[in-house]
This record gives sequence, C-alpha cells and structure tokens, in this order.
Amino acid sequence: MTTTTTAAADAAFIDNNPQAGQGRPLPKKESDLFKNVVKFYESKQYKKGIKAADAILKRYPNHGETLCMKGLIVNAMANAAVVFFAQQGGGGGGDGDGAGAGVDKKKEAVELVKKGLMMDMRSHVCWHVYGLLHRSSQNYTEAIKAYKQALRIDSSNLQILRDLGLLQIQMRDLHGFRDTRLKILTLRPNSKVHWLTYAVAVHVTGDANGAVGVLDSYMDTLDKDCVEFQRNFEASELAMYKNWVLAESTTTTTIPPTGDAAAASVAGQEDNEPNDGLGGIRKALCHLDEIDHIVVDRTGFLMTKLSYQLQLGQFDGAKETVSSLFERGLTEDYRVHGAYMCALLKCDKATCREVEKLKGMSTLATLRPLSEDERAILLSAYYGASGGGGGGEEDDGFAKASANGKDGTINGDSTTTMSGLASTFPRSMAIKRIYLTLLSPGCNQFKWAIDQYCRRQIIKGVPSLGSDLSSLYLVEEKLQAGTSYEFTRYRLAKDPIDIKAHAVYSVLVELVDAYIVSLESDGTFPDDTTKHPPSALVWAWYLRSVLYEQAAEYGPAISLINKCIDHTPTAVDFYELKSRVLESGGDIQLAADVVNAGRDLDHQDRYINNLATKTLLRAGREDEATKCIALFARHEAPVEQNLYDMQCTWFELELADCLRRRGALGRSLRKYMAVIKHYEVFHEDQFDFHMYCIRKVTLRSYCKLLKFEDELWGLPIYGRAAEEIIRIHLSLIANDANAKTGDEPDYSGMTPAERKKAKNIARKKKKALTDGGSGSGGGSDTTSKNMNAKNGAKTKSKPHAIDEDPEGNELLSLDHLDEAKKFAAVLVRHAPRRISAWALQFDVSIRRGKVLLALQALFKMKSIDSDDHGLFSRIVEFSQYMSLRTSQSNSAADHVLSSEFPKLMNNETLAGFVKMAMEAVKADSRSSLPMRIAVARAMLAANLGCSTEAASLILSSKLNVRGVTVESCREALAFMDALGPDGNDSKNQMMMLITTKFPFAKDFGK
Amino acid sequence: MVDLAVDFGMINADNIEQLKKINEACFPVTYKPSFYDDMAKKQDENLCKFAYFNGFAVGAICTRIEAIPDCPGRNRIYIMTLGVLAAYRNHGIGSKLVSSVLDYIESEKNGKFSTVDEIMLHVQTSNVDAINFYEGKFGFRKGELVENYYKRIDPPHCYILRKEISR
Repeated sequence: MTTTTTAAADAAFIDNNPQAGQGRPLPKKESDLFKNVVKFYESKQYKKGIKAADAILKRYPNHGETLCMKGLIVNAMANAAVVFFAQQGGGGGGDGDGAGAGVDKKKEAVELVKKGLMMDMRSHVCWHVYGLLHRSSQNYTEAIKAYKQALRIDSSNLQILRDLGLLQIQMRDLHGFRDTRLKILTLRPNSKVHWLTYAVAVHVTGDANGAVGVLDSYMDTLDKDCVEFQRNFEASELAMYKNWVLAESTTTTTIPPTGDAAAASVAGQEDNEPNDGLGGIRKALCHLDEIDHIVVDRTGFLMTKLSYQLQLGQFDGAKETVSSLFERGLTEDYRVHGAYMCALLKCDKATCREVEKLKGMSTLATLRPLSEDERAILLSAYYGASGGGGGGEEDDGFAKASANGKDGTINGDSTTTMSGLASTFPRSMAIKRIYLTLLSPGCNQFKWAIDQYCRRQIIKGVPSLGSDLSSLYLVEEKLQAGTSYEFTRYRLAKDPIDIKAHAVYSVLVELVDAYIVSLESDGTFPDDTTKHPPSALVWAWYLRSVLYEQAAEYGPAISLINKCIDHTPTAVDFYELKSRVLESGGDIQLAADVVNAGRDLDHQDRYINNLATKTLLRAGREDEATKCIALFARHEAPVEQNLYDMQCTWFELELADCLRRRGALGRSLRKYMAVIKHYEVFHEDQFDFHMYCIRKVTLRSYCKLLKFEDELWGLPIYGRAAEEIIRIHLSLIANDANAKTGDEPDYSGMTPAERKKAKNIARKKKKALTDGGSGSGGGSDTTSKNMNAKNGAKTKSKPHAIDEDPEGNELLSLDHLDEAKKFAAVLVRHAPRRISAWALQFDVSIRRGKVLLALQALFKMKSIDSDDHGLFSRIVEFSQYMSLRTSQSNSAADHVLSSEFPKLMNNETLAGFVKMAMEAVKADSRSSLPMRIAVARAMLAANLGCSTEAASLILSSKLNVRGVTVESCREALAFMDALGPDGNDSKNQMMMLITTKFPFAKDFGK
Repeated sequence: MVDLAVDFGMINADNIEQLKKINEACFPVTYKPSFYDDMAKKQDENLCKFAYFNGFAVGAICTRIEAIPDCPGRNRIYIMTLGVLAAYRNHGIGSKLVSSVLDYIESEKNGKFSTVDEIMLHVQTSNVDAINFYEGKFGFRKGELVENYYKRIDPPHCYILRKEISR
C-alpha cells in the first residue's frame, strides 16, 4: 500500500492543535523519525517501522499520528503473519497458533489506531489511517466515512481522494465516485489517467453525453501531432471507447440539423435524421470513419461498424462489412453469420439486437422460423441459387453419387453456377453447418445435406457429432401468446419424448441405421463405392448409441456402445458415453466404474480424470474421488485446500452434493459456502482493475468488467450453491420442528414482538460463536450482504479460518431461517429469471409468515413458466396455508391477498383448481411425470378421488411422458409408498414400468 | 485393402492400460502384471510403441534386447508381442510396426546395436498367418520347435522365428 506518501509531508503542517506540547508539531528530530516510519511502512520494513515509532512515542507517548502509524504497521504485520501461516499449509496443529496470534495482533492494531485518533481528531493522517484499517478488514462503508472525515480536514489530499474513489467505485457509489474524480482532475488537470477516470466516472453514472464531453475536452488539451492521435494500442482503445460512448449518447442538442453534408453522406442515404433515438449510433458510425486510421483492433472495429449499420438499416453497407470480416478469417464466427442473415433479410432493429446477443452456433435461422422466401434468399447467398450446392466440395467423392437426382430446385431464379459463400469458403465448417439450419427438415434437400454432413464427420471421427446435431431439434414456441405482441421463437427440444418425436431425429435415425448396415457389410456408405477405414463403422455405431441416449432408450444404447468398446477398446470416448448412459439409466455405481476404467487408459488426460471424479462423487465414493482429483492437484497442500485455492467450483459443488446426499450437512454447507466465497473473491478482485485498466486504457474491457461484476450473483454456479444452501437450511428447520428440540424456535406461531425477541436471542448466540474466530469489525451494512462473511484481507487467510471447523458445525448453528432468507433475497434480486430461485423465495417467505412476499414469488414463477409443476404444488400449498391462517388486523395485506390470489387459481376453489389440473394432465398424453406427481398429491390434499385414482394419474403415463428421470421415478415411488397398504398394487405396477424404462436401475424400491 | 496411415507413439506408465487392452483383445495368453510393470518403465520408444489410427491406439509392438545364451557379449532383439486390434487388421499396420523396429535396428547396427546379431520371436505352431507374415514379408526363417512352451493354450508348442542381421 503506497497510500500514505504524503502523510509525512503533511504531518509537518502546523496548525493550532490542542495537542501542542504533546508533540504537535514534532521537533526536527522526531519529525524526521516520523517520515522514516512512513517510509518503512511503505517498503514493508515493519520491524524498523515499529522501532522508529517507539522512539517517537518514548518522548511523546500521546502523539496521535505516530500511534496510528504504529497501529497500521501492526495490522500489516498481522495480515502478513496469517498469510505466512496459511502458506505453510499442512493443516497441522500449529495453524491455530499462527492465526490466533494474527487475531491478537489485529486487536492491538485497532486499539492503537483508535487511541491515536482519540489523541488527534483533527489530523487527516489519523483519519486516513483509520480508514485504511477498515479497508483492510473489508469494512468499506466505515472506511469511506473515515476517508471523508480526513478530507474534511485536508480537502485536497490527492492520496486520500484516490483511496476514496477506489472504494466508491467498488461499492458502486457512482455519483460519489464521479464527484471525487472531478475533484482529483481539478487538482491535477495535466494527467491523462485523471481525465480518463473522470470520463469513465461520468459514463457509469449513465451520462454518455457528459462522458463524450470530458473525452473531447481531454483531446482538446493535446497537440495535434501528439501520440494520442497516432496509430497505437492506447490511442486505438481510447478512440473505440469514445465511439462506444457516442453510440450510447443522445443527440438532442449536438447533432446538426438535417442537411449537414458530412453526416448525411455517411449516416444513410434515405434518412433525414429522424428523431428515432438512433442519433447516437449515426454519430458513432461517422466517428468510426474518423478513427479508422488509428484503430488497431480491426475485428472489433468491423464488428462495431456492422452492429451500427444493421441498427440503422444500412444493409448494403452491412453486407460489405461482413465481407471484410470473412476475409479477415471470421467465417467460423456465428455472430457474423447471424448479422449477415439480418442484413440479407433486412431485419428490424430489435431482431438485429436479439441476434447480436446469441451465443454458440445460434444464428437468425435458429432464432425464429423462416418463411419460404426468406429461406430462398439465405440459401442463394450461402449456396448459390440452385440449392444442392454441397456438391461443390471436391474432396467429398461420395457426395456426387448420392447427390444425383436429390437436389430439388427451391426457387425460380435458379442459376447454374455456384455463387454462394460455400464456394468462396469451401473449407468453412460453419458454412456447412449453417446450411443445415437453412433448410426445412421435411424437404429432400435437408436429408441430402445432413447426410453429407454426417458422413464427413463420421469419417473424421468427431465424437461431438451427436450433441452438435442435437441443436437442430428446434420446436416453435409462441411467446406472449394471446396478446397483440405475439411472436414465434425456436426453442430447443430437450426432453427425450420431444426429441423422439422430432422430424430431424427421425431423419437421423434412418440415415445412421442405413450407414451401419452398409458399413458393416463392406465398409462403404450407402450408394457409394469408396471403402472407408474401420473407424467409420465404429463412429457410426457411436452416433447411433448417442441417438438412443437422446431418446432415453438405454438398453439399445448400451449394447451398441459395448460393440464400440469391443471394436476399439482403447478409445476413451466410448467409456465416457457408456458411463453417461449408465448414469441416466440408473446404475451410478457401474457408471463410475466404467468411467474409471476409461480414465485408466491415459493418466495424463485431465478431462477424463475430472469426469471420473465427478461420477465417483455422484456414486457417493468420496474417498476414491478425492484420490482421483489429487492426481492433478498440487501436492504441497491438502487436496481440498488446493482445490479451494484454485477456486475449483465444479468439484466443490459435486462434493457438496455428495455430502448432502449422505446427510453430512455441516460439511456439505461448508463446501457450498466455499463456492459462495469464491464469488465474493471474484467481486473483491475488481480492486485490482480499477486503476490498472485505466492506466492501460483498456476502457471498453473495464466497463464490461464492471457490468460483469454487477451481474455476478446472478450467475448459474453461484445460484446452484446458494439454492442448495437455502434447501439445507430449510430442511434443518423442518428437522428441528419434527424433533421439537426447541433449539430453533418456530417463529411462525409467534406475534411479531415475540419473534423479534427470539431472533435477537438467536442472533446473540450466533455472534458469540462467530466473534471467537474473526477479527472483522462487524460490518452491519445490510446493502452489502457479502461483507459479513469476509474476514481476512487477503484471500489466503480465509481457508484456515474455515479449517478450524472441518465439520461445519458453526454453519449448522446459524439461524436457519435468517440464512435462507439472506440467500433467497440475493438470488431473486440478481437472478430474477430463475424459476427455482422464486420457488425457494416462496418456501422461505411462507415459513417466515410473509404472505405477500410468498404471493409475489408465485406470480413471478407464473410469469416465467406457468406450466411449472413446482408452481402448481406451491399454489396448492399456499391455498391450504391461507385457509388455516386466521385473518390478521393487517387489512391492506389481506385486501391484496383476497383480490390477487384467486387469479393464480383461475378464480376457482382449491378442489376446482386441482380438478382443472387433473383434466389438463389427462388431456395431454405427454404431460410431465413431476406434474403428474404434483397433481396426484394435490388430489389427496383436496380430497378429490381415492388413492388409486391419484396413483393411476402417474401409472397411466406408462413413463412415456416428459420429465422421466431416475429422480422423478423415485419420487413417484415415494408417493406410492406414502399411500400405505393401499398403494402396494400401484407400487408394483410402477416398479414394472421402471424396470422396463431403466434396465440398469439398481436401487429402486429399497 | 488400403493401407491405413498410422502414427507411432511411446508406451509409458500413464498409458500402459491401453497396451493391456490391445493385448487382451489380441492374444490368447494373459501376460503377468510384471510384464506391464516392466513396459511401464522408461523404454526405448523405438523398440516398444503404439500404432495410432485416427487418434486411437489400434496396435502395439514390444521388443527387448536380451543376451544370447552361451554367447558372451552377443545380444539379440526379442519380439515379445505384436498385436493389432481385429477390426484394424489387413491394413498394413502390423507390417508398419515391424518395419519401423527393423529399420531402427538396421540404422543402428554399427552403433548402438553393434553387439546385436539377430531378431527372434516365438510363435505358436498353429499360427500359420503369423509365420507367413514374418517369413513372407520380412525374411524371417523358421527355427527349432520348442515343445510345451505355452502352458494354458493348445497347441502348447511353438517355433522360433529368427532373422539374422547382415553386416
């Protein structure tokens, strides 16, 4: 930390301090010593620093600034000690001492600084140090207060301003950040970094126009022949950043009226600068031309240009830009293809933006259904006017024979020459792949194209072919149906039932079956004479096995993959597939054995090693899994420690799941919490970038980073960990309630006052437990939920704090409802499209007696997926809860409830609502197994029909419905178990269905 | 049948299991764990190697240098195993494996292998294909019959095939 550079100089300032005589101002000798203290601190010579500080304190024991500096040094030493002990690793008995000493030292540091501050409240040095101390224990809110206090005394202290700004952007006090940076810029207007930081600060407050102004003012301060105007990385990044901001800007005042020649010539031929909110983009597009000669990120430049052109409807220009991108070698980038299609079809702005955001191999053609005319336009652009352009591939000798007579012409203006992209870029796989998405699965041409594609990949031996093709199982879905905004989008069919019924799937099955027959007989593909190596047959079997897997036909899948293994027992992919099929087919133990055998083939293959670890954990074989992953971990530290340091979240999640299934909830919680901590560290890691990015002028990346960090808690891995934590805490509440130990009071039956009191007691208990281990100053700020969990300044110090509680007892002793509430609140705020998050929010809210929050969660779930079975069972639960609930005096809430809740039930009674669901399930032969179970449960809850009728709702599925997995079948069995003797018959029938569907299932019915 | 283009790769402790898979699929005899333990140790990759086709090991040859009994100071190359997975046979892979070893010995016959006089192997008397393979393609000659060489397979006898190194 070089944060006190000016402290020594400033300390010499004389003011009329009441401490005069206490060493204020310090005499020459001590003043020099004090400068040394600062110097020693900055160069991390802590022992010398303490010595020098003690020398001053000997004469002036109450000199505030020296006391503070000494405290700061002690604090730094404490942190260093913890890090040192953490690095020693080993997990032995010595660690406690090291960490313990660190805690004592930290206490001493806090006392010293507090004493120093008390002695000299009017010193900015003391306040600054006080802030630094808080910052080092992650207590940013307090640190900001202390910095501000310091600035009240010395308003133009650059160092303190800079520290304050850092914390403000970290805490997203955006306006505060902007003001602080303006102050700094005013003090030192000749620094580039200060100009840029201020521009970013203005930008992040949402004032794009202001940011442009700042950047322009900065550029005005430069000479014309300055390096900033030449072609180099920094100038290029700055220019592109400005361009980005320009695109976000509005043009109410700055754009000249129509008729401005320069603007009109570039911004589009037919536009007369309409007031359509695109002015910023028009300006940005002009600006791109101005900066063309200095931008070094050519791809970024062209992609930006393309995006602007599409949004402005300049489709001819966009096509040219696409050509430039293809020439630069971006033919394999599906984003460019997506944009190209938008240009070809002259899509509206909204569609262009939607396509821009697509990932993977998605393009416009997989986003929404295309009309026949649209298909024709795209096909002619990609494969020339006559459809069967695939024949242009000279290297595919077999293509010719089978192509004969199959390529029907699909549009009138057929030209004979190949003119499409396919002939310009004959080696592009993306273009071949896209061809498949341009054809309608029903036509012969599609069959021909997918045939060529599969043959080529099978000859090459591409294991991912099956999953590659699975992204062609697109089904149409109407969104916002029934409204005037109704539109159609493609959705990927994922359930085996839907895949099996898909046209593309039948085409594939037919093709691959024919391949196998032909390859088995003489090593050729159908209607072709070229003999292929033996590997072609084995990959055809493999693909067929994958197709069986996709349709959940586990028996045939296994027999085929066994053939593959017999054929080439050295191919690791075959073991992987076999293991995967066994796992979904119900035999997790054998799945683990098989993947482990695959792992043995090559001990240097990290991928299969990780897969084996994962499968072993799913099979509950923790020890074997740990040994397995250890092969690729560093050996200095214990494996789990090492993987924690590597932030290996997938392993921690799988291990946590494994422990949870085994009932080791404390250890499981610890592992889930480890993932949560990683995300807190990711958040903390921003600190490194606030200054670095601006210095390196990577402003675009920096702004993207800030956005990423804002969305951090909405990421799926965090969500998984948080959800499981909530579920564990909820299950513990249920356990406690069952055991009636009174350990965890049941808040729901209490009046608000009682509840508050009980919670306070619980909180005190909890505090007593946590205070022992942490030196944190108790960040009580509720807006930053991550504060409480954070202890040591450096991440390295954390693991050892955890290791003191290997069984996770501390986590188990937390207030379950509070913990669950905390994580549910984070999830619904940051991942509002995650239906499971709202489901848990409901579960938590109803236990807290917060009916309105629960009701809100139900409505949110409904807006995400109104057919969700979890939603259905929660509506039933809520309805039952409400019927038991005695109306309270809170009339406003009751009013909302009585007017809103019936909407969820379609204004029916509970019985009527369940009856409707029953009929809906019966009407749809594919309605999912989990939904059937939920409705069957609800039938019994609402006294509708007998248990046999309820069970028949499940049995009538014959397991040929959606959502049939080992887990859902287990749940169905559990339901029948709960019926008691009445359910025996149903249970037996169910078992028969299961053994047919899951021939490998081992542990059902136990 | 067309020849398949193969690559060679070394056998080591990390991939020894693949040798086991190939041998189990190719030979009626089961090799002892000590055989694989020895193979897993650092071997001369010119004498022991996998043949890879399309990314997977489909065949392997394992040879070693051993002393010729009663001839102090003279050595021979002994072919312990040569196997190609059934599905990949008749594509020239075995020949390529043998040639690559023979070529290596030839290139080093006045250097590293100056004490090596011959290359030899055992072959089950009934294995006509193998005898034809070595005799026809590489000029091995059938030597003496060793009775009851194998313990668990029938016939238990084998011939010795050898090829002298000409200098």
